[in-house]
Amino acid sequence: MDFSILTNYFDLYLRGFWGTLLSSVLALIGSFVIGTVIAVFRITTIKALRWFGTGYVEFIRNIPLLLVVCIFYYGPSAIGFTLDGFKAGTIGLAVYTSAFIAEAIRAGIMAVPKGQMEASRSSGLSYVQAMVHIILPQAIKLVIPPLGNQFINLIKNSSVLTLVAGFDLMYFADSISTETYRTFDTYIFVAVFYLVLTVPLSYGVRVWERRLQSKY
Amino acid sequence: MIDFHQVEKHYGHFHVLKSIDLHVEEGEVVVVVGPSGSGKSTMLRCINRLETITSGGLTVDGITVNERKTDINKLRKEIGMVFQHFNLYPHKKVIDNITLAPVKVLGLPKAEAEKTAMYYLEKVGIADKAQSYPNQLSGGQQQRVAIARGLAMKPKIMLFDEPTSALDPEMVGEVLDVMRNLAREGMTMVVVTHEMGFAKEVADRVIFMDQGQIVEEAAPAEFFASPKEERTRTFLSRVLSH
Repeated sequence: MDFSILTNYFDLYLRGFWGTLLSSVLALIGSFVIGTVIAVFRITTIKALRWFGTGYVEFIRNIPLLLVVCIFYYGPSAIGFTLDGFKAGTIGLAVYTSAFIAEAIRAGIMAVPKGQMEASRSSGLSYVQAMVHIILPQAIKLVIPPLGNQFINLIKNSSVLTLVAGFDLMYFADSISTETYRTFDTYIFVAVFYLVLTVPLSYGVRVWERRLQSKY
Repeated sequence: MIDFHQVEKHYGHFHVLKSIDLHVEEGEVVVVVGPSGSGKSTMLRCINRLETITSGGLTVDGITVNERKTDINKLRKEIGMVFQHFNLYPHKKVIDNITLAPVKVLGLPKAEAEKTAMYYLEKVGIADKAQSYPNQLSGGQQQRVAIARGLAMKPKIMLFDEPTSALDPEMVGEVLDVMRNLAREGMTMVVVTHEMGFAKEVADRVIFMDQGQIVEEAAPAEFFASPKEERTRTFLSRVLSH
């Protein structure tokens, strides 16, 4: 292993690392918010919202991630504005992941006993208040493990940014390897950078789960 | 206070409620008994629109329940409900279970809501559990919290849907005691239960339902001593003989 690659190109690795980290954090927040809203759409009694939610999930999760990103990369120019690779990639990543998160959260909501909604509604809370204060907090607890998996997938999937010049880890690794011709070594170091992100995340998710478990 | 007029309810082909006529006065305690599947819980749940009716008229405190323009959340503020399985919020402490609706629905300041909550917790005899989570409480304690939660909204009506059916036998008494006190204080109550002793002692009127119909209604003394209908007699002989 040639560690000089790591030291010589450390600033490039680091730029890629920050790119991946920033894109992942933004996409994580975005996908969580969109996913939660879509999950609620899918279970409401309002038909139009339910159809929209179902259509969204079925469309997004049944096409490749790369295609979703391409839609946001090439799509805007068709209607007269542009998104750079980082923005298009991050939005695409958020949208793609949100479909899976919506399904996980929906399953969590369905697993909360029906009596919880009945008790909150019968005390005069609105549907939205009941969701926010009673149902979703319990649903989230149930879906932390699948949610954690989705977030880890999201970080790994962020490598798709490379293909739209999104300045992420893989993107810089490509340019490093074309300079060094040491493709394998270059990419092994990339793996380490990914692990620096994903291992603490999966550990954090476990701690979060345990903390909620012990509370009630 | 509560008025059912020719209320019908269908679940698909299943006719759950058949021309229900029922009138509950302010301050009255009405106990509904009957075999499982007779529609008594469904009838109760129509009062706060947890179930909708198919046809007929239903008014609560002068407000038509099943009308588009009725603000159901406003109406529900006046109607407390206690469930068979308590339905406490497991992720919230006892005190927060009770203050949630007063704060979010009535808009009370948190401190005032907590004061009210403690008052009712004391009333049901478990003020010391305010900071516990529901799963740290026994079934009887949980149900008493649920009653306190309902009372904290200062409702005009309290509905009880088999409040003791999920309890261990030795905990039934403590819950019935709380309900008995509530009745004595003049709360308007509709209680679906299998506790015949409670019905006999506390009810102003007993309603017997079977197959979606109100078969008989009478003052408890009369109801238990000399039921008029054959179906009532059969039912009572089954539940009282053991």
